[in-house]
Amino acid sequence: MKRSAVLKNKTIIVGCSSLGATITNKFSTEGKNLMVIDKNPKNFERLSDRFSGFTITGDVSDQEVLEEAGIASCSEIVIVTNDDNLNLFVAHIARKIYNVPNIYIRLTEPDNEVLIKGMDIKAIYPLELSYDKFNVLRGGRK
Amino acid sequence: MRIVIANGNNGADYIIKSFKGRQHQLTIINDDRDVAHKLARNSKLPVVFGDATKVTTLQEAHIDGADIFIALGFRDTDNYVACQHARKQFGVKKCICIVQNPKNVAIFKELGLESVICSTESLVSSVLAESSLEALTKTMSFENDKIVMSEIVIKSNYAVANKRIMDINFPKEGSIACVYRRPRVIIPNGQTLILPKDKLFVLSTPSEQKSLIAFVQRASKK
Repeated sequence: MKRSAVLKNKTIIVGCSSLGATITNKFSTEGKNLMVIDKNPKNFERLSDRFSGFTITGDVSDQEVLEEAGIASCSEIVIVTNDDNLNLFVAHIARKIYNVPNIYIRLTEPDNEVLIKGMDIKAIYPLELSYDKFNVLRGGRK
Repeated sequence: MRIVIANGNNGADYIIKSFKGRQHQLTIINDDRDVAHKLARNSKLPVVFGDATKVTTLQEAHIDGADIFIALGFRDTDNYVACQHARKQFGVKKCICIVQNPKNVAIFKELGLESVICSTESLVSSVLAESSLEALTKTMSFENDKIVMSEIVIKSNYAVANKRIMDINFPKEGSIACVYRRPRVIIPNGQTLILPKDKLFVLSTPSEQKSLIAFVQRASKK
């Protein structure tokens, strides 16, 4: 199968945490093809009225849920649950089993960076980012 | 050997008892304060209280270069990350990962962990092995179940009994690797005669196993 045939420009967002919902809501305004997964359906209440994508209630530690979301044909996956270990596991599956073109992962623990080294997985550290921003706001005072 | 036991409750307790005092050096890590106390009390060994999926805890436990790391936690993804850190950052020689979800056995292996154990999967395999034993065959598998060896005892009413291998038209999908005729082990060739009470060891792929067993066990026409 040609790669171009596989890419349907779909983005999967794993975890409808505040970060996941924020990203999804922003993406909705850009007209992206979205699929959001969370094990707690209540978290989908965070999605805005503009959201027109799909939601799946399920536990992503089960590969079948990822299959159902269409991981095999998505163009990017944004993995932002509150659990570093779950995020790492899903990112490894996305890279090693499905070779998803673009993989983004939320990490809390900087020590976990070593587990995605050389795998072309891009990490976001919300806590570090907040601290950096805070530091800028207070003029970098020590 | 240096063995690290990460998390787990009764399972950890049992493993510690089994290995303790057999010239093994045990390192115990547990993220539950009560369980950590219990394990320390029962084993009289120091227990590191902390999250085994965190690099800082693993450093504190000095697991560098350990021979075996066993992750016994009840969450599969936690065990996965703990094993990956142990392997990649601390050079642990062998990681054994326990999983609850049988589907994770194959996935974890694909993601680089060579020893993954699931009690449900083991249970199913042993039940399956038992049921083929009933049909007078025993099965062993190699290379992650890609090759199977079936053990079949020949009865006098089988069509292949008292015939030479060259004359029975054995299916080319399998191979008779060995014939055991008490007390001799025979490496067979076409001339080898199959006798009642012989034990045939047949190598094949799992998909052909059933039809090969059926071929050997089919009754003679008389």
